[in-house]
Amino acid sequence: MRYLPLLAALIMPVVSLAQDRAPILMDVTETHILPRFDKLPETTGALVSAALVDCTPTSPGLRAAYDDAFDSWISASHLRFGPTEVDDRAFAMAFWPDTKGFTSKALSQHIASKDEAVQSPEAYAETSVAGRGFFALEQMLYDPAFADQGDAEYRCALIQAITADISANAQAMAEDWLSYAPNLTRPGEDSRYRTQDEAMQELFKALSTGLEFTAETRLGRPLGTFDRPHPNRAEARRSERSLHHIELSLIALRDLAARLSFDYPEIATNLDAAFARAIEKAQSIDDPALAGVADPQARFRIEALQQSIRDIRAIAFTELGPTLGISAGFNSLDGD
Amino acid sequence: MPSRRHFLAGLTAATLSPIRGWASVGAPDFLAAGLFPDGSHRLAGLNEQGETLFSVPLPARGHAAAAHPFKAQAVAFARRPGTFAVVVDCATGAQIAQLTAPEGRHFYGHGTFSPDGTTFFATENNYEAGIGVISVWNADSFVRIAEFPSGGVGPHDMRLMPDRQTLVIANGGIQTHPETGRTKLNLPVMDPNLTYLSLSGTFLEQISLPRYLHKNSIRHLAVRQDGLVGFAMQWQGSTSEHPPLLGLHRLGEAPRLLSAPDKDQSMLQGYAGSVAFSADGTAIAITCPRGNVLHQFDVTNGTFANAHALEDVCGLGAGSDGLVFTTGTGLFGTLTGLSPMIRAHAHCQWDNHLIPIRHPE
Repeated sequence: MRYLPLLAALIMPVVSLAQDRAPILMDVTETHILPRFDKLPETTGALVSAALVDCTPTSPGLRAAYDDAFDSWISASHLRFGPTEVDDRAFAMAFWPDTKGFTSKALSQHIASKDEAVQSPEAYAETSVAGRGFFALEQMLYDPAFADQGDAEYRCALIQAITADISANAQAMAEDWLSYAPNLTRPGEDSRYRTQDEAMQELFKALSTGLEFTAETRLGRPLGTFDRPHPNRAEARRSERSLHHIELSLIALRDLAARLSFDYPEIATNLDAAFARAIEKAQSIDDPALAGVADPQARFRIEALQQSIRDIRAIAFTELGPTLGISAGFNSLDGD
Repeated sequence: MPSRRHFLAGLTAATLSPIRGWASVGAPDFLAAGLFPDGSHRLAGLNEQGETLFSVPLPARGHAAAAHPFKAQAVAFARRPGTFAVVVDCATGAQIAQLTAPEGRHFYGHGTFSPDGTTFFATENNYEAGIGVISVWNADSFVRIAEFPSGGVGPHDMRLMPDRQTLVIANGGIQTHPETGRTKLNLPVMDPNLTYLSLSGTFLEQISLPRYLHKNSIRHLAVRQDGLVGFAMQWQGSTSEHPPLLGLHRLGEAPRLLSAPDKDQSMLQGYAGSVAFSADGTAIAITCPRGNVLHQFDVTNGTFANAHALEDVCGLGAGSDGLVFTTGTGLFGTLTGLSPMIRAHAHCQWDNHLIPIRHPE
């Protein structure tokens, strides 16, 4: 490889002044990331037990365990890098958006063929990613279309297989995050991140893509356009968790943003105020499945919520990004 | 230095009428869109020295453009997911026509004229169905006359093959919907491919990557005179993996994937922006604006030749010798020997692509 030192010096971006990021990297890893992945095996383990105790879709115990486990996944799902990404684990936890209805197709196929993969977690993990995870479980528990497909015994085995697979996935992520953590806390030669800035940039990316996903996908898909709203595209609408997911993700991202901006109190204040505005908006909407996107008046408030999340993202990009050495390249940011 | 071919072409043009076609706008070699200091987005014609020979305003940030084979006309696309493209007279800056995507469609930002300049093809998204489409337009009236499937999801770049009767299409595999902006809706099941179609849409050949590379979105193309296709990719999988971002394919053969050594490859952030063959076709390069580097390879044996650090480098094309490139910082440079030479520094930010203008032969 032949680099051109002189030319490179002339045209490479100005590197942000060296600053010790170690305390922030340690804080985010120890108090934001690891506790979330630590909790996941706990709540998903309880979900497995609940499905073993009573696999009836309407069972209050099973549904409560589903809610708890799904909450802990949504609160960790913005950390979509490193061990979360390996082997499509994040998709295996939550296959959404599902634009072509693959989840219901996969479930129907299992039921119609009495797929024996439900008998072992290893075998089930090899089946279509669309038939795994919380959204597959949601359809089995809440979608009337699955209430009488096939026989009850097989449906029970399928529900138990999905919960066992979720739990195994959670366990694997938790273990791998423990061994991955030093990459973030000790960047350098032996780390995935060569510099502290690179590690900070990974965390910033988790913040910005988390905000983008909530504003543009969790809200954007059901909102559609004024003339063509799509209430049936809201995330987890069957179990009426759509708005709850937005609130959970904002709470998690607010915590991450506060830790990342710790060295810049003014930026931290701006970000926190913007998060407070968005969370307040989310809490003032009484519409768990976001059905109101199709109603002009209710829609207005949901659009305002979306805008308030875009505002947070703008602050993150214009104020926090530059302090972390995020280069705002014309083409590198275009992504096309 | 004017080649014999250019000289003869100029002579022919001169005998037909005083000045016509691309010669009337200074005989540019490339088109590039850019953001100018006054905040305007413009389409510019550049020569091989990087001199801006003309620039005409665009209504919004452009992506790629397509140059008419002989008239000084260009079709400039809005950024994805734009629903319009403008046909610009490069001599006057006047907008001759506008292409508007029909209901339920948007453009992807790339298109190409037929060799005789009578027809124009564009890549489109049928977004409710999540299916890629090639639209066909009359290149005089710019009326939409037909469409056919692109052979996959998310068609992006499209080129005309040297046989002048085949289109090669990069179906990037990523499903998006304008209501959710650029959010990628199908990453776990994405399945990009390279598809060859006749100009009337007849399926000729399609290749896919091995399953473990199904998240490597095939996005941009370059075609050598003998029909060898170079394709540049953008990795949507784990950031801890650093798969090849460049491939070569010839009809009827298996694709070859080219990669730099891990140390260099891992700096690209899984993202290649443009691809081009060198003038003599012996080298191929990709630009990597996220890694701020240009990677060059030997075509014959597929080996990595060298890397050149260039901030926000993205536009890339063949010069009369070697390669030329543009950057988001306004540089225009050439790469003929071992090191890049900066030829011009425009007061603008050059956008993703450099579009070669085919000179009349």
